Amino acid sequence: MIGLSFVLSGMLAAAMPFLLAALGELVAERAGVLNLGIEGMMALGAVTGFVIIFHGFGHATGFLGAGLAGAALSLLFAWLALSLRANQVAAGLAIGIFGQGLSALFGKSYESMTVAGLPKLQLPLLADLPVVGGMFTQDIVVWLGIAATLAIWAVLRMTKLGLIIRAVGENPTAARALGYPVIAVRYCAVMFGGLMAGLAGAYAATVYTPLWADGMIAGRGWIALALVVFGTWMVGRLFFGAILFGAVSLAQLAAQANGVNLNSQLLASLPYIVTIVVLGLISSNKKLLKRNGVASLGVPFDP
Amino acid sequence: MTSTLNRRGFLQTTAAAALGAGLMPALARAQGEPLGIALVVPSPFGDVGWSHALAMGLDQVVAEYGDRVKITKLENIPEGPDADRIMNKVVADGNKMLIAGSFGYQNGAMQVARRNPDLSVLHASGFMVAPNFTPFAARNYQGTYLMGMAAAAVSKTGKLGSVSAFAIPELVSSINAFTLGAQAINPDIQVAVVWVNTWFDPAKEQEAARALLAQGCDVIYSNGQDTPSVVSICEETGAYVFNLNSSMLKYAPTKYLGCVATDWAPFFLQSVKAHLEGDFEGHTAYLGLAEGVIQPMDWNADIPSEVMTRITETQAQLTDGSMHVFTGPIARQDGGEAAAEGVILGDEDIVSMDWHVAGVTTPLPS
Repeated sequence: MIGLSFVLSGMLAAAMPFLLAALGELVAERAGVLNLGIEGMMALGAVTGFVIIFHGFGHATGFLGAGLAGAALSLLFAWLALSLRANQVAAGLAIGIFGQGLSALFGKSYESMTVAGLPKLQLPLLADLPVVGGMFTQDIVVWLGIAATLAIWAVLRMTKLGLIIRAVGENPTAARALGYPVIAVRYCAVMFGGLMAGLAGAYAATVYTPLWADGMIAGRGWIALALVVFGTWMVGRLFFGAILFGAVSLAQLAAQANGVNLNSQLLASLPYIVTIVVLGLISSNKKLLKRNGVASLGVPFDP
Repeated sequence: MTSTLNRRGFLQTTAAAALGAGLMPALARAQGEPLGIALVVPSPFGDVGWSHALAMGLDQVVAEYGDRVKITKLENIPEGPDADRIMNKVVADGNKMLIAGSFGYQNGAMQVARRNPDLSVLHASGFMVAPNFTPFAARNYQGTYLMGMAAAAVSKTGKLGSVSAFAIPELVSSINAFTLGAQAINPDIQVAVVWVNTWFDPAKEQEAARALLAQGCDVIYSNGQDTPSVVSICEETGAYVFNLNSSMLKYAPTKYLGCVATDWAPFFLQSVKAHLEGDFEGHTAYLGLAEGVIQPMDWNADIPSEVMTRITETQAQLTDGSMHVFTGPIARQDGGEAAAEGVILGDEDIVSMDWHVAGVTTPLPS
């Protein structure tokens, strides 16, 4: 029971770094651009946010700076991939590695330093419930993250902007024929993705684990990329996937603390295994792929 | 002379340096150049932790020998082919002493040692020995035994926890000693362990610490973390915490139970001296309180004074060898007997320890 309430109260915060980054990546991929540099953008956002907050400018400024840093790096990627029409996979990997290197450089003199995190906010009444009460005691970024999930879902599904983004990702030629600026839309989608990755990094380094250490993103950017596939490019599925990933990672730690003997390596790799299964399932069926995938994902557009 | 390089900077200079590499060793001998000592570690040096402790040890060598030694420190070198290549490179550059600061460098470092008989290698936590290859390790268990005594004295719940990196003998034996020390003060104490299966993931380490705190553990042993991830969360949540290698007191000013610090300087100084005098001889260097390598420090003022007196006495006995941590009777977690009454486990049993003592509640991952 202690383990269950620990997992329930911690899973939202544990999911937040993947969720924020994955939401941004989902928008970019929905517009047809595969950005593999998420890990580097998170790292750069993490160090930017950390340094700003370390020098006493507060979390709001820190997150703003982190988002801008992530967006700036993604702008470089967008220029390579969209304007120069470089291979998106190669450009994304290169920018990602570049971002990790930059973060190590900027963070050199802040290695192993700590900042104060954010206070937790309680939802009245709900927070007093037994076992599940902890779920409703979270820092403000978690609440904003949930709000952002809803907002992105609504924009993609119910607004004209969402329709344009999806059209650009499905069939850029048709979108252009209708008069939409395909490249500009893709630039914005990629930069939104970079912004969200930067915020995700800042959350990891200044709220969830309020310290800076080179390499602390530790593969969470790749989990975010896997999540987009896991969620089959749907916001709702991605959200639950992120929480599932967070819950599984906490559950294996809680099980050990409770003295339960289970294979922690297997549990830790479960999210990846599930992602491979999902990818295999939707790829094996043309209809499913058509319904769930993004038709022009990763294909450079030459107007 | 000290120069610090990171991996990227190192790679940049590689091309230029490779040109002169063939000439270097001959020149070094001819002109009586300083002894080149290279330190290779898998994580950033930072202000704290394992790599930091190794670097601090070398600083003492510089203080002693000055311009007669030339230190190259390489951080963030992943274990594997990258490390092998870089170790070959630093030796080709004329370094005559190599300190390979991670278990995973073992095979690569051994190859370099075999190819270069005039090179002296110190390798961390390994088991291979050669005439010019010395594996070294600290008897951390001596320090964690003392910490266990302190932990049991300050714990109100009777539950202690450890966030531990990998289930390797070095970490297992230190947890066992921690448990035995705690049992010397409170025979009913329980120790829960969470294996995070990583040397470096601060977020996961904090999650593991939170899982232990949620279980009611009120003293946490940060076992194998190079950042203050676990230490800082304990200060925040009001649980006592301690770690190994170098002090993290500044990250937990009120809740820092103490530190099992490692001072590699005595060992490094001795090895450099042996190399310079030409009588470096590969041997297993298992170093503890007696050699001054294990140094418990920064004891918390909350530890009751009568327990502190016992700790000091025990430390003196462990140092002069009149007492041993793993002295029978020792019961295993599974109910078996690890050591009968009066039997002292030898070094070979300690360095290959793959079982937990009774009192550790988490089964060892298989």
